[in-house]
Amino acid sequence: MNNSMSRQAARLLLLPTWMIAFAILIKGYSDSGDGFSAGVIAALGVIMQYITFGTETAEKLRPVRYARQISMAGLLVALSTAFIPVLRGQPIMTHYPGPGNAATHIGSLELTTPFLFDVGVFLLVMGVCIGIFDLLAHATRRERRP
Amino acid sequence: MNATLVLLLAALFAAPFTAAFGTARPSLTRPVAIVTTAIAFLAALYNAFRPGPVIDKEWAPAWGMRLHFEADGIAVLFALLATGIGLAVVIYASGYLPLHLHHEHRPEADQTRFFAFILLFMGAMTGLVMAQDLMLIFLFWDLTAIASYYLIGFDSQRRDARVSAFMALIVTGISAVGFLIGALMLDAEFGSFQLPTLIDTLVPNYESDIALVLILIAALAKSAQVPLHFWLPRAMAAPTPVSAYLHSAAMVAAGVFLIGRFYPLVTLRQWMLDGLLVVGIASMLTGGVLALTRDNMKQLLAYSTIAQYGYIVTMFGLGGTAGVFGAMFALIAHGLGKSALFLTAGTVTEATGARELSAVGDLWRKMPLLAVASALSAASLAAIPLTMGFFKDEYFFEAAAHHGRAMQIISVAAAAMTFCYLARFWWGIFGGPNIGDVKPVPFTLVGPIVALGALSLIGGIWPAPFAKVAEKAGQVALQSDDSFHPAYHIEWTTENGMAIAAIGIGLALFFTRRVWFDSVELAEVFGARFGPERAYRAGVLNLNNLSDRIHWIEVRDLRSRVATVLAPAALMIVFTLIFTNADNSFRIGRIQWDDFPLIMMMAVAAIAGLAAAIPRDHFSMALALSGVGYALSVVFALLRAPDVALVAVLVETLLGLLLFAFLGLLPRNVEHADVVPSDEPQEAGHRHRMRDWVLAAIGGSLAFLVSWGVLSRPAPIDSILEDYVELTPDAHGGAVVTVILADFRGLDTMGEITVIGIAFLGIATFIRRRRAR
Amino acid sequence: MTLVVSIAIGVLFAAGSYLLLQHDFIKVVGGTMLITHSVNLFIMVSGLSRGTEPIYPLVPGEEVSDPVVQAMVLTAIVISFGVSALLISLIYRVYVSHRSVDIEHLSDFEERLVQLEEAQVPAEPGIGVLQDREIAEENGNSAQQAAGSTQTEPRGTE
Repeated sequence: MNNSMSRQAARLLLLPTWMIAFAILIKGYSDSGDGFSAGVIAALGVIMQYITFGTETAEKLRPVRYARQISMAGLLVALSTAFIPVLRGQPIMTHYPGPGNAATHIGSLELTTPFLFDVGVFLLVMGVCIGIFDLLAHATRRERRP
Repeated sequence: MNATLVLLLAALFAAPFTAAFGTARPSLTRPVAIVTTAIAFLAALYNAFRPGPVIDKEWAPAWGMRLHFEADGIAVLFALLATGIGLAVVIYASGYLPLHLHHEHRPEADQTRFFAFILLFMGAMTGLVMAQDLMLIFLFWDLTAIASYYLIGFDSQRRDARVSAFMALIVTGISAVGFLIGALMLDAEFGSFQLPTLIDTLVPNYESDIALVLILIAALAKSAQVPLHFWLPRAMAAPTPVSAYLHSAAMVAAGVFLIGRFYPLVTLRQWMLDGLLVVGIASMLTGGVLALTRDNMKQLLAYSTIAQYGYIVTMFGLGGTAGVFGAMFALIAHGLGKSALFLTAGTVTEATGARELSAVGDLWRKMPLLAVASALSAASLAAIPLTMGFFKDEYFFEAAAHHGRAMQIISVAAAAMTFCYLARFWWGIFGGPNIGDVKPVPFTLVGPIVALGALSLIGGIWPAPFAKVAEKAGQVALQSDDSFHPAYHIEWTTENGMAIAAIGIGLALFFTRRVWFDSVELAEVFGARFGPERAYRAGVLNLNNLSDRIHWIEVRDLRSRVATVLAPAALMIVFTLIFTNADNSFRIGRIQWDDFPLIMMMAVAAIAGLAAAIPRDHFSMALALSGVGYALSVVFALLRAPDVALVAVLVETLLGLLLFAFLGLLPRNVEHADVVPSDEPQEAGHRHRMRDWVLAAIGGSLAFLVSWGVLSRPAPIDSILEDYVELTPDAHGGAVVTVILADFRGLDTMGEITVIGIAFLGIATFIRRRRAR
Repeated sequence: MTLVVSIAIGVLFAAGSYLLLQHDFIKVVGGTMLITHSVNLFIMVSGLSRGTEPIYPLVPGEEVSDPVVQAMVLTAIVISFGVSALLISLIYRVYVSHRSVDIEHLSDFEERLVQLEEAQVPAEPGIGVLQDREIAEENGNSAQQAAGSTQTEPRGTE
């Protein structure tokens, strides 16, 4: 798509898309939203760049270059949230702070391990979706070449 | 500082560290591998002097599985073997592997894979020997088998490597399933997976007998004992460092390790010990005889390994302090000696290009250091005085002497054969006439062998430290406090007499070898024709033929596969519908006006579904599929499920994009793919379509009946949803669904993200970045 | 209400099954996606209560839509996304290797491949000890850089 208007829009919309994704991630625990949705929205922002600017330009973005590492990091964060309690002698996936204990706040966001788990899911999903599209974009380009 | 934990983590993390560094920068692979192995070895040494505390954490309390690790005597012995010989092998491999890859015309980057798998094996072995929970033992057991599969098949472009790897995996893997069954039986009978508890509470009965026999079979298969020994000579297709490590000192040692761990339970039944005795003797003799005539260097050593582990199993079978301590000491001596000999074979092959004894000779002039080192190792295995191995035979003879004349004769014969084939090995390489020329080899190919040979010599002169390790291990196996002090007795004892007799007969055999060579070989041919390997091949071949026949009769392509699954499912559903009690089902509820948007969107979804099925071309189908997805997300939103609606919209967008991106690849003529194959006439096409619609209609109506029947039933009174809704504020949350996903049912979400991760790996395999085909 | 929903589920399932029976691989994948949609709808409407969204603050006494079912469907949608993406990349691979997405073509190809393999490899298994002697006699010596036991084996042991 070589329309200059869509290019402008795509360039401008990348960061707001990520902001919305973060917002959904943060409010997910107390309102509707989910780590998974946030990850997909963030990935869709990047995919929009692919569609408007083409593979060569889009693959230079940081998240695309580090897509695999981001997804592995996300998986590690999520799994460690589950398994670190085991190392401390408690059943798997025990969350801190427990019921009844106060949690540290940043504004109205409570920092709890489920939130950390959601962050892990977010990173994983974002990395995976961007990775899949990057692979498909390169494959499409290869097929198109004579 | 928890020494046990340090050892465990050092061993387990060696592989990922090396893999990570190696993929980032290949020149770092070898140093990182050596350093991580050295750290693991030091940790093992530390535990030998000051054993760390027990690690015991619950991780699945409902099933009784715990993370239970202990660095007891047996664990320390085997961990020292695994990490120490591992260190020697890794140093050797750092010199050997580049040459090997160069010969096989493979890229340098394969080094990382090799070291990663060797270290994975080391970690698995260390975890195995420290584990006290039966399920943990099984996990690490299979992990060693998997690492071994990849290592044997490392030269995957060669057919014999692939076949041998498969054979080893099948033999050790199927017996491992037997181990699992045995472990489950023990848990069912005695209520625990923890080995210390079982040792305290086990009372021998029918079930425990079967369980222990299965476990012993797994152990014997792993240690390549008769009749499950045939995979080991085949496994010599692996690169030499692998043979030196896995198939002489570590993986086959795992089988004997298991016998040692379970020994307190095995001694409760005398017939089990007798069984071990029989298998051990059979392996000693079979391995010994077959090693006498092998020409290929590694094959000779492989059969020797079978025989030597036969020694150890026999000593376990003979029992008593002499037997058990002797077995433990023999493990150390054999590990040090055999790995050195394998590495020697590798170095000689590198230097001369030859793999057979008949093709080399007189190398002691050109490679004197190697000759001395391997002479020391061979002498140790042959139980010559002043080497460590002398004591292993001394205790062997002592244990045999307690069991009568026949046992004594067998043990002397076995020792004599050992002497003979080892003499053949050493003389064939380093003595005799000069054949072929010699290339210089890097020192890393000789250094480790010298170190191992020196250890064999030191152990012969001052056996105390090695004896201490063996003593601690033996005490665990015997569950007693007996002591073990090997020493030279310069007097006429039975053991010394037997040792002299063995060496004498061995020398005689060696010098007269031309006389008996051919007749022994004939006996071997007979054994090969009718031996267990034949049975294995026949078994695998027949299974494969059976599978092929079923495949070509019943299931030719994807559609018949689908039909094979769906048709019986449909039949079963029909039967269920006919024969179940259908009162209270199939009610038509009232429709309120509020539900009208909901019904509209469901209608849209259904029509879009039909729109996806009917047209011929792909783009219409993709568009209609997206329509179905979006309509359903509106349905979800109307059903008051905002999270689900959001996710459904996003997933539909992604899948739509994926599908369109892929469809864009296809050229025009593939898009309008016909329903009918090109060589069938048009009427057959219509018939096919009718048939498909009829089948689809049957499927759809079955789905309709099932869902109507289920949805009409009244809701149960108690349900967990009220609890979840109530508990959500306590979980510091506000949205019940998110709290369920992240907290109450977090394990399900973990499974979900694992699926996504695996799917990503699969997609990355299918759509590769660089190579097109 | 249940009747209407069941009709929708049945129609989606029927459309999906029809597509599953097609020759074209892409249609088969579309069929799996449709059946997945149908099942997700089924799980969703089998919730035990219908009311307002299950998000705090809640009015006490008001009924709340079943959150358990919603969580299950969410997980199911995500997993089906992973599977569908995998299937699409599988079709890509098949297309790139065979330049066809027709199932009949693919099974013909596979059949011909099997016949070709069976024609090449003889059925007699070789045995190690005999093999050693043969190799020692044939080659006589050490220049053999290839593996020490290349044998003719039935493809069954692969």
